[in-house]
Amino acid sequence: MENPLTLQPLFHLGPVPITSPVVISWALIAILTLGSILLTRNLSLTPSKTQTVLELFVTTIEAQIRDTMNREPGPYRALIGTIFLFVLVANWSSLVPGIEPPTAHLETDAALAVVVFAATISFGIAQRGLKGYLATFAEPSWVMIPLNIIEQITRTFSLMVRLFGNVMSGVFVVGIVLSLAGLFVPIPLMALDLLTGTVQAYIFAVLATVFIGAAVGDGPARAPSDTSDKETPQP
Amino acid sequence: MTIDWWTLGLQTINVVVLVWLLARFLFRPVSRIIAERQAAAQSALDAAKAAQAEAEAARAQAKSEAAEQASARVAQLAQAQEAAKQESARLLTKAHNEVAALRAQTEAEIAKEREAAQTQMAREAGVLASDIAARLLSRLPEGARIDGFVPGLVEAVRKLPEPTREALLAQGKLALRAARAPSAEETTRIEAQLSEALGGPVTVDLSVDEGLLAGLELDAATAVVRNHLRADLDRIKAEVTQDD
Repeated sequence: MENPLTLQPLFHLGPVPITSPVVISWALIAILTLGSILLTRNLSLTPSKTQTVLELFVTTIEAQIRDTMNREPGPYRALIGTIFLFVLVANWSSLVPGIEPPTAHLETDAALAVVVFAATISFGIAQRGLKGYLATFAEPSWVMIPLNIIEQITRTFSLMVRLFGNVMSGVFVVGIVLSLAGLFVPIPLMALDLLTGTVQAYIFAVLATVFIGAAVGDGPARAPSDTSDKETPQP
Repeated sequence: MTIDWWTLGLQTINVVVLVWLLARFLFRPVSRIIAERQAAAQSALDAAKAAQAEAEAARAQAKSEAAEQASARVAQLAQAQEAAKQESARLLTKAHNEVAALRAQTEAEIAKEREAAQTQMAREAGVLASDIAARLLSRLPEGARIDGFVPGLVEAVRKLPEPTREALLAQGKLALRAARAPSAEETTRIEAQLSEALGGPVTVDLSVDEGLLAGLELDAATAVVRNHLRADLDRIKAEVTQDD
């Protein structure tokens, strides 16, 4: 029997095998990008209902970043928001018949974890400098250096495995129940998967915020409702 | 379990590209419009604050002007009251003065009338006294209207200063008025007594003046000697008038 966790290439682009998570991710990227373009083309100072929802989403993410990191959310808004949106949409893609969520495969979750890991190091060095960032590994004592390095790796690994385990298990359960019970029986489990997918997307985004916040340290005192639009450095 | 490293790499690139795309087409426009709205709201708030400050200033100015007007009104009222008070005092003083003048004039007129009445009464009293005296004297002998007054006249002449008596003596003939025409004997006796009093011979030029009632009056250029009832009545009347 074939291992269900093993990816089979759909086609090859030269030497590069293209698997289903990559294709589905491209589709999700296209949908998110086109949706963003459509939703933001008519923004005005007098918002419509759609614009109000968009602004509520963005301000909620900014508030979450501000409360977690105690910093202005501008530089981190796009990364955290994109991770949340992508994980959420990827988890919910299981509702489409025949589509398997990309996050149900370890490579996608690992890619997200790698991006968060790189962003943590990038923002830490950008904020503290290379020497200052490396010095954080010796806190509170140089004895902690090995443990801190291991923590960096393991928490990234846990980030990956947590998302993978939750989504993959949901997909497997629904598949097993569907094969055993019938067409409409897995619906409650799929609804549960929706909730689980939302919670996992939130947890992933919040943990990414916490890791980046720990890397950059406490910020200066900020205005309570300042939402300055700063450029987002890419990780 | 194996990891497809190609898929891992492609998914990593996909995530990074998606971050860039959503930053470009979703988060940045929405954040920009939020910031613009906040700026517009802040601008409106600033404008409202400016308008409020302007309104406050206008209200303060209006309040100040109202206070000034009230103060000016109070001052004008006080000034009007003061003017009215002064005018009232002036009118009162004028009325007092007019009343005082009228009263003084009335009192003067009353005094004048009283004085005229008193004069009239004195005059009538004098006339009445003269009538009474004349009626009473008519009951006396005729000789009493002259003889009884000769010694007094002589005594008065005797008491005149020496130069006056010498002037009378040098005059020689003295004008003498009597209440009735004296007889020759009475004239001789009067001349004799006057000559004795003056220390030399003199004669008299007698004339009758019934107004004297009784008695004689020596009327010379240097002296007038009266000894008759009319002079007594006049003196009494003058004393009575002075007493009043």
